[in-house]
Amino acid sequence: MNVDLLPGADEEEIARAAADYLAGELPVTRCHQSGADIFDPSKRSEIAGLGWFGLSLSEAHGGVGLSAVEEIMLFREAGRYLAPLSLITNALAAHVAAGQDDTALLSSVLNGEAQVALATVEPGNDALLRLFDWKGASLVLHVESDRAALHSFSEGMVAPVDCLDKTISMGTVPAASLTMLVERKDARPMQMAMLNMAAMLLGLAEAELDMIVAYAKIRHTFGRPIGAYQAVRHPCADMAVRCEAARAQLYAAAVSLRDGHSDAAAQVAAAKLLANTAAVKNADSNIQLHGGIAVTMEHDAHLYMKRAHLLSRLLGSDRVLLDDMIDAKLAA
Amino acid sequence: MDLDFTPQDDALRSEMRAWLETNVPAEQRPAEVVAAGQYDRDWQRRLYDGGWAGINWPKEYGGRGLTAVQQMIWFEECARANAPAMNSMLIALMHGGPTLIARGSESQKAFHLPRILKGEAVWCQGFSEPGAGSDLAAITTRGRVEGDELVVTGQKMWTSFGHWADYQELLVRTDPGSQRQKGLTWVICDMKLPGIDIKPVLSMSGEHHVNMVFYDDVRIPLENVVGAVGEGWSVAMSTLAFERGTAFLADQVELAHKIERAIALAKKTRLENGRLAIEDDEIKHRLARIKADTMAIRAMTILGFSRIERANMPGPEGSMLKLFVTTTYKALSELTAEIAGWTFFEYGDNRQTNRMTYDFMWSWVLTIAAGSSEIQHEIIADRVLELPRAR
Repeated sequence: MNVDLLPGADEEEIARAAADYLAGELPVTRCHQSGADIFDPSKRSEIAGLGWFGLSLSEAHGGVGLSAVEEIMLFREAGRYLAPLSLITNALAAHVAAGQDDTALLSSVLNGEAQVALATVEPGNDALLRLFDWKGASLVLHVESDRAALHSFSEGMVAPVDCLDKTISMGTVPAASLTMLVERKDARPMQMAMLNMAAMLLGLAEAELDMIVAYAKIRHTFGRPIGAYQAVRHPCADMAVRCEAARAQLYAAAVSLRDGHSDAAAQVAAAKLLANTAAVKNADSNIQLHGGIAVTMEHDAHLYMKRAHLLSRLLGSDRVLLDDMIDAKLAA
Repeated sequence: MDLDFTPQDDALRSEMRAWLETNVPAEQRPAEVVAAGQYDRDWQRRLYDGGWAGINWPKEYGGRGLTAVQQMIWFEECARANAPAMNSMLIALMHGGPTLIARGSESQKAFHLPRILKGEAVWCQGFSEPGAGSDLAAITTRGRVEGDELVVTGQKMWTSFGHWADYQELLVRTDPGSQRQKGLTWVICDMKLPGIDIKPVLSMSGEHHVNMVFYDDVRIPLENVVGAVGEGWSVAMSTLAFERGTAFLADQVELAHKIERAIALAKKTRLENGRLAIEDDEIKHRLARIKADTMAIRAMTILGFSRIERANMPGPEGSMLKLFVTTTYKALSELTAEIAGWTFFEYGDNRQTNRMTYDFMWSWVLTIAAGSSEIQHEIIADRVLELPRAR
């Protein structure tokens, strides 16, 4: 019982362990190789063994029994390493499947046997779904503000589309071609999805800041490191402020969701909004401050920029979040 | 990671709410300067009688000794009850008093601290000079020791409430050959001493808030020096150790109310095109973004408390909060001005005629005073990011 928003030792440990695994097994260098949009099933299985897909699921359902707070610590690291989007959808799908009594479905999601793709309805065309991370997936999760449904699908029905972000497979599929397996009719899945996506975006924003700060210390122009010029220092400081604001709000939102605060929905929406801004704007600053080197394919900066834009539109774009924010009632 | 207020915190909130409900004055702070000063003192006296004076001061010095979180609760309740701000009592309560508590002699504490708490003494700050604002260590106002007196000659600038202050926390250069932070002395200056000449500087808001203060051989008893002669810089910085991320708490908390008022204004104000402001997507989205930012400010405030609690010392992260708060305040002021239409221009050179317009102009005070936004960027670059030094 306290007011303390800093992560505790156990929460920090989750992040450290996740970072250790990702640095060794899913390093960012893999994103420069072809086939980066395919999640190696053996890695998925290893990750399942680490308990990542059931981190916030109760032990009674086969999960680890932790909470939204531990999950953001995990997904923030996943963001830093540009890890597969389906890490989030698998974890969420487990919550949807656990609401029903389909234990086979739940265990296939939890043990990583099944990869879960994310679906969004195409604006202006309800009959068409756009899928992300569908290559290698056997299930599709569709989350809306007040419901979430898990469907089976076959890859053969998907019309593949080249994605700007080459680490995420994209495609479209007729909604009618999916078979719904389980459905959950409440707002919680969307809130969890939004929160975890915000965590991934914060990870991107922080990685972008780290990248330019490291470079600003070693890159010299006119006889000085560029980090000594205020034209570089001040935008870096702005990047740090965006991270700090997004981080604080993410922590507050995670606690409010875990503890069932009355304004959890608004706190989570604000967290996604601030994380969208931090990731997208920091991506821009990171490229701009690096200069020419950052517009090349071999550099990492564009990977983060592309990922930031994609994630900022998924599960709570600015426009949708802003429309709802005005009348949101706050507890304090 | 927890956001659980303790039962004591909840009880304290109820106690504060009840007290504020019956004690917040119905009348607004008057426009006329002398009456406004009296209003500030009267409110401070009422706080003192109610047991709410010096909420951040240790109990042994007559304060309430609240934790950082409890101070936040206090300012949240004050904003909710529309209680008066500290105004001219701010320097005494948040800076002068805490400095004496940290470094003052027993007799200095015994004389000044009760007077501050009771609203009997207004303090002003004498740090900035025409040539030393952001670069505080560049001050040149001289103090020479003659017998048991410090004789001060020079000029201070931007002295808020100098025209009705009783005392000043004055920073002077006592070692004439010294550079930068060395050779400075922090002294309590009685503003009624001969040789002090105060000239008003009108702010763009039309209000007389700040002053130029000239010193012509002003003789201050040496016993008024806090710390020792030559230790001025460390004395001036000593309030930092006292600070718990609470210096701008009132502004941070007030923002959450200002955004709700701006939303309410947008719901009843028509634009040039006849539509309600809230129905304009651009205005609605800007309001919504600022509302989310004010939520983040509360979270950043609590995160800041948590960091200071662990480190037992404020870190450079406070600069990120100051920058974010003042930028948000400014964005909100600009947006409110836009929503208000022509009424934004209905202004009679004091805040009572139109608080919204006054706040618009006040936003530059926030982004310039207490370390301008440019200085905050430098602090973040140096101390948070550890980039190579620019200077």
